[in-house]
Amino acid sequence: MAAQPRRGGISLPERSSAPKPHSNILARITSSPIVSRGKQAASDAAFVSKKLLRSTGKAAWIAGTTFLILFVPLIIEMDREQQFNELELQQASLLGAPPTAPARS
Amino acid sequence: MAGLLPSGTTAIPAEASKTAHTKAEEKTDYMNLPCPIPFEELQREALMSLKPETFEGLRFDFTKGLNQKFSLSHSVFMGPTEIPSQSAETIKIPTAHYEFGANFIDPNLMLIGRVLTDGRVNARVKWDLTDNLSVKANAQLTNEPHMSHGMVNFDYKGKDYRSQFQMGNGALFGASYIQSVTPHLSLAGEVFWAGQHRKSGLGYAARYETDKMVAAGQVASTGMLALSYVQKVSEKVSLASDFMYNYMTRDVTASVGYDYILRQCRLRGKIDSNGCTTAYLEERLNMGLNIILSAEIDHSKKDYKFGFGLTVG
Repeated sequence: MAAQPRRGGISLPERSSAPKPHSNILARITSSPIVSRGKQAASDAAFVSKKLLRSTGKAAWIAGTTFLILFVPLIIEMDREQQFNELELQQASLLGAPPTAPARS
Repeated sequence: MAGLLPSGTTAIPAEASKTAHTKAEEKTDYMNLPCPIPFEELQREALMSLKPETFEGLRFDFTKGLNQKFSLSHSVFMGPTEIPSQSAETIKIPTAHYEFGANFIDPNLMLIGRVLTDGRVNARVKWDLTDNLSVKANAQLTNEPHMSHGMVNFDYKGKDYRSQFQMGNGALFGASYIQSVTPHLSLAGEVFWAGQHRKSGLGYAARYETDKMVAAGQVASTGMLALSYVQKVSEKVSLASDFMYNYMTRDVTASVGYDYILRQCRLRGKIDSNGCTTAYLEERLNMGLNIILSAEIDHSKKDYKFGFGLTVG
């Protein structure tokens, strides 16, 4: 708690790498190098993952809207064409059958 | 027995002469090449597939035929139109206009006129004087001064070549010539001179066409290089790609698109290297009734344009 004499202005609190003697175990753990490096790594990972999520989101949006404009009408139209063809085939088979049936009777 | 042998020997030379005859037919007859397509339609397959007339807003077209040859057309358009601006932002101003038109179509003569409510008048004339010579003219008059222009073209069609001479206002003169070199390949050249801007230019083009594909290339001294390739995958589907390079301004654009011509509809889609995708659908709802949907998304400029239209008659 006893602050060192500040020399003209604000100085950053000292980050001691070696554990201070006479402090409790929790303080010793939280000021150990492993913990500080872990904290730095976690904040870096959060930063990178946020950026990755944002760029993935942007890419997904662009891919999604492009797919919607380019391919969804195509799928719909090809489906309709297939239905139309099936209907025609059905009608052709229907019209094809009757002329032979009355001839038999 | 003796009679069989000579007949056997004469049968084989007859077959050999038949295959030789078909081989001679397949060998190209350079005196009878087909007539090439006109110079301005050199890249027409690629243009039709890759550059549909997308629009933004509502479009309604009604064409009424009064006669075998004469028809009137009424057309309404409501939507934002882009104003070319110097800054990167696009400025859109909502406009609406009604257009009245009259068409007279004869085998030899075609006259088309249009009047719009914003004061523009368009006229187009195509007159086939003889089998080989035809005259085309078009003019556009506007309210704004110095924006009206007109152009006259004289086309002469020869046995395996076409030549064209055009004159426009503002001392614009141009000439082009296209020649069939083989049954599949045709080469063309053009030259133009614009008096008002004191510019002149020269251009060359080539087009290679088979049943399944069309490849065309065009170079001009104005700095434009345009290449296109269209492949007809089946009778309903064709895929097209296009490459444009301006070596003065170092502008490059490549695009790939498809063109599906189904029984009830025609769907064209394309994606660009500028990050722009467009789709254009014309669907036949009923006899003479077509619905048109147009979409254009520009991801890089964040400009989205959607249009809806109806065509009757």
